[in-house]
Amino acid sequence: MAQSLRTTLEQSPRGIVGSVSRRRRILRGVVVAVIVAYVATTLVPFYFLIVRTFVSTKNSTQLWLWPPPPEEVNLDADIGNFAVFFNLDIQEFKAAFGLSAAEYINPKWSFRRVGEEYGIPEEQLIAYLEPFVRYNGWVVLMADEQFWPALARTAAMTVGGLVGLNVLSILTGTGLAGLRTRFQRTVYNLYLAETAIPFFLILLPQFLLVQGILKLIPGYGDFGSTTRKIAQLMAMVLLYIRGNALSTMIFTSYISSIPRELEESAEIDGASRWQYIRYIQMPLMKVPVASMTVISLVWFWNDFLGPFVYLDLNNTNLLVLIQNYVGEYSTNFQVIYSGVLASVAPLLIVYIIFRRFFVQGAMSGAIKG
Amino acid sequence: MQDVILVSPQLFLFITLVFVPLFMALPVLFTDRRSYTDVDVEYIGFDNFTRVFWDDAIAEEYWPALRRTARFTLYNYLMVYVFGLTLALLMYEIGFHSGLFTMIYVPQMLSGLALGFVALMLFSPATGVVNLMLRNLGWMGDPINIKTERGTTMLLPVLVGWRAAGFNLAIFLSGLLTIPKENIEAAVVDGASYLQRLRWIYFPQMVPSFAIATIFCLLGSFQVFDVLVALGGMEANRDAEFLSVVIQRYGFSAQRLALGLVLSIETFVPLTLLAFLLLRLQRRFSYER
Repeated sequence: MAQSLRTTLEQSPRGIVGSVSRRRRILRGVVVAVIVAYVATTLVPFYFLIVRTFVSTKNSTQLWLWPPPPEEVNLDADIGNFAVFFNLDIQEFKAAFGLSAAEYINPKWSFRRVGEEYGIPEEQLIAYLEPFVRYNGWVVLMADEQFWPALARTAAMTVGGLVGLNVLSILTGTGLAGLRTRFQRTVYNLYLAETAIPFFLILLPQFLLVQGILKLIPGYGDFGSTTRKIAQLMAMVLLYIRGNALSTMIFTSYISSIPRELEESAEIDGASRWQYIRYIQMPLMKVPVASMTVISLVWFWNDFLGPFVYLDLNNTNLLVLIQNYVGEYSTNFQVIYSGVLASVAPLLIVYIIFRRFFVQGAMSGAIKG
Repeated sequence: MQDVILVSPQLFLFITLVFVPLFMALPVLFTDRRSYTDVDVEYIGFDNFTRVFWDDAIAEEYWPALRRTARFTLYNYLMVYVFGLTLALLMYEIGFHSGLFTMIYVPQMLSGLALGFVALMLFSPATGVVNLMLRNLGWMGDPINIKTERGTTMLLPVLVGWRAAGFNLAIFLSGLLTIPKENIEAAVVDGASYLQRLRWIYFPQMVPSFAIATIFCLLGSFQVFDVLVALGGMEANRDAEFLSVVIQRYGFSAQRLALGLVLSIETFVPLTLLAFLLLRLQRRFSYER
């Protein structure tokens, strides 16, 4: 029963009963077809997500199986109506054409009239308005000056969290391996006890505590200062790396399973504890690190509640940014769908690049779980 | 001593960020504090703990939310098997294929919030893609609306199950892979049908996997929050009000802090106990070789 996961996975390609009878082959074909059909269906919502980012509010009550044909900009359209349907920000419109913000533009006017009134050539108007008509969701999202910073912040917090969590959890796991002393057992149980503590119970006190500590940092009070922003992001990372029952369980059990003989023979060969850790233990840490990363990467990247509570609006992560587009009365769903895709795309890219890592992590994590 | 040094960095963070807040919250449970800036705070003993039973205003919100959450959990649990177990059994027969596994895992990348928006995209009454498709195919009935109670308790689990398919597939497939092939081959040679193999060989040896999947599903279902926010649970949509939303509201916006904290204990501690009980039960049913 000492089959490693890898050999098990490698041996299974031939299927469980490798008989080549015709009936078996047909059955196998059916099973493959079912799975492939499921995979195709699974990806359909993503396809529609992409399509719907191109469907304006005006067209949204129709089923579009592919993006609707791009509309022509209609210069005779009312500015007011256009602004509502295509989420045009009138202030930005004015700024783009050099009009002062205080200048009142009658929403019932057409763009043609505005062009005549202020001497703006028609080509310029069309050029400006075209993206709104064609790629509305993406335009609004990318034009949001907070979008790329939010993306960067999310990435920074996620990477910081992952690195910190893995490093600290390795230390903790090494310190607790074997669970021999009373101290080790107490600490281990302390971590496990976390599962019994309802998250909502500690959410608010935790917030107050962290805020209290943050306020002690000089410069934190200035809203918008870099100190404040960085302090908040660091606070989020600290919250991520604090460790939990799962991280402790995974690392402690895995390190405990490293045979003592390895340590002893290294000792006999004259290696110091640090040499042992560096050359023998570290390479073995790939497996628990993979499991932990698979779970935590998605969790950190997609965290909504944490950033919502701790980060200022000008310092948020991607998900909170998207949620802020949900209006009180009307919501520009094109932006929301674009935002959802934008938040998933980086994860997908990382996932595809590190696929083998992920698969191993997911499967071995499931066994340990 | 070396162990203490190794363990300290994370332990320090852990105690500061988890246990210190816990001890800050404990005294509040026995008061009538409405928010953390509340100045008029009185000690009321165990009043908060029994409130959910005798206070009608709270009961009106809590018990329906419990009912919705429980229904949701039940359907969610069903979906774990419909998606995860079915896929695992199918994939077991053809051998592990990392490409297919990867694609099945993709929906897991969606955040809770994103899943809620996808639900809206598919199942809104007027603009939902599925509803539009049904209408195009000639169906004249009522549109499927995710923002109703039936929607959130019965339809949302399908989406959540879809998202968790990869996760549950990994759990069940790992369980299947630990079964020694000789057992299965012997059964086939003895003429056992597929269903008999399932009942007598696969399932008994998959008990730990079932236990893990059950616990994750149970705890996860009660903690669902982001998805409900996207469906309007924190605003007007009463049908998206599950326990997590009610508790959150009491704690943050409805000026009933102490009560919210107490409710979170009353809801989640029994749940954790249940999870531990399930773990114990699993050991009893475990197949001993």
